[in-house]
Amino acid sequence: MSELTIQRLPGTGQLLAAQIRYQMLLLMRSPRAMVFSLVIPVLLLVLSSSRRHLDPQLESALVAGLAAFGLIVTAYISHAIGLVTSRQDGVLRRWRATPLPTWCFFAGRIAATALTALGSVAIAVAVGTAMYHVHLTGAAALSLLVIFVLGALAWAAVGTAVTSLVPTAQGAGPVLMLTYLPVILFSGGLGSVSAEPGWLATVARYLPAQPIISSATQALTHTGPGLSLISGRDLAVLAAWAAAGVLASVLFFRWDPVRPRR
Amino acid sequence: MTVIEVEHLVKRFGSFSAVEDVSFDVPAGQVAAVLGPNGAGKTTTIEVLEGFLTPSSGVVRVLGADPRQGGRAGRARRARIGLVLQTTSLDLQLTVAEAIGLYAGLFPRPMAPAEVIEMIDLAGDAGTRIGALSGGQRRRVDLGLGIIGRPEVLFLDEPTTGLDPEARRELWAVIQSLVAGGTTVLLTTHYIEEAQRLADRVIVLADGRVVADAAPDQLRARGGIPVIRYHLPPGVNPGDLPPALARHVDSRHNELSLPSADLTADLDALIGWARRFRADLTGLEVTPPSLEDAYLSLTSEAPCLN
Repeated sequence: MSELTIQRLPGTGQLLAAQIRYQMLLLMRSPRAMVFSLVIPVLLLVLSSSRRHLDPQLESALVAGLAAFGLIVTAYISHAIGLVTSRQDGVLRRWRATPLPTWCFFAGRIAATALTALGSVAIAVAVGTAMYHVHLTGAAALSLLVIFVLGALAWAAVGTAVTSLVPTAQGAGPVLMLTYLPVILFSGGLGSVSAEPGWLATVARYLPAQPIISSATQALTHTGPGLSLISGRDLAVLAAWAAAGVLASVLFFRWDPVRPRR
Repeated sequence: MTVIEVEHLVKRFGSFSAVEDVSFDVPAGQVAAVLGPNGAGKTTTIEVLEGFLTPSSGVVRVLGADPRQGGRAGRARRARIGLVLQTTSLDLQLTVAEAIGLYAGLFPRPMAPAEVIEMIDLAGDAGTRIGALSGGQRRRVDLGLGIIGRPEVLFLDEPTTGLDPEARRELWAVIQSLVAGGTTVLLTTHYIEEAQRLADRVIVLADGRVVADAAPDQLRARGGIPVIRYHLPPGVNPGDLPPALARHVDSRHNELSLPSADLTADLDALIGWARRFRADLTGLEVTPPSLEDAYLSLTSEAPCLN
């Protein structure tokens, strides 16, 4: 019977597609995720329109920063809060007891997060190109796609790992905001921080926000023919964070709700 | 064929021992109810069997393998098992049909989602988001997710706790239809009536140990004494009965309820009085010892009755 059941188990492609669709539905139906990912970056772009006619480099940095802000909110905060809530509600525990392979559950969840995050980036960049002196070439779009996909994967991996430190959904918001806001601020996600100390700028270069903003700014200011090259250091930093997040998740991820202490 | 095997299971959380040397087997097609007061070790035992907890010592097998078995063989084994956790575990943003359909896609030979939705009596709410359902309806969705894969083994951890009597009976009906199809069921419950209604066998836990393991009828016979019940006819007052009987009359309902260690003598006294008083004995009944009496006796005297 078991051999027969093995042969008849649904294929992983089919399972993965169903998981992505399921997770997208959950994200789309979360008002918090939608407001933070889609509305706030656009709102900030509109509210910052007084800075128009400045240096195109600064305008590109503003658009890149707010696009990164939307991406990171989705890939880190919404993703992690969603996981902690599912764990607290016993949903993760139920999934673990099904025939769904573990990797398929996470791949579906992270792919859905990345797709939603890219949607928020696309909207922010579209609004940015319409309102500011930012011109998007095909080559720049390709570079943006690479950097934002890698950025989304890195933040989602770190977000997955961080859930092991957060016992309840109520406690998730403060922990995630405290780990995310300083990084996005010092990395220039909400505007240039030229006055920050040199050591802080150096630290920010090795955190997973500044490389996204830096490479995206470079892509948005690229006007010449051919691909705008992405900094190898930025790619390496993001890849390292993604790998560290995956490793920590494999080692420390918790499926079960946290039991109150006796 | 034995489907569930538990041999000398011990589970400790730090210095606290939740389960202490529990052993039992459940053969294919049987419905076994695990009864016990809060903290008896019911949920810990079922969570070890579901693969959520690792035993501190002892051996546990479900469908012939370790519940924590991984790889494709583990997946195949999990495809043959259904479960309903102690608390509802649902994505509230999904509709009933979306949740049932999603889970159907995980199994090699699932039931038709529409059939399951019909079985759990939510056809009228198939398009409703789970977050908008009542507690009883959500519990039925939980059961729907547990049975969608046509499980050979079904674990039910307090499946009807918190439900109103009607919802409870509806859930029992679904479980009984599965059992009729040959599914092996292990359920934990606080409700004696639930065990009596559903189970072929009752395993009573107290303080992490098995204190009884028997068919409901056998268990009932072990604990308690029969009760003579007689509703006094109109015009008869409790004071008209012999004093030894009169003190067992519930004056609010005008009903005699006499736990009897010597049925012959007590019935003789009652029938003698009825003959003298020319009272109508219609409605006189003798009820056997209840499972509840047996259960209370077992759990209060725990270790000596094993």
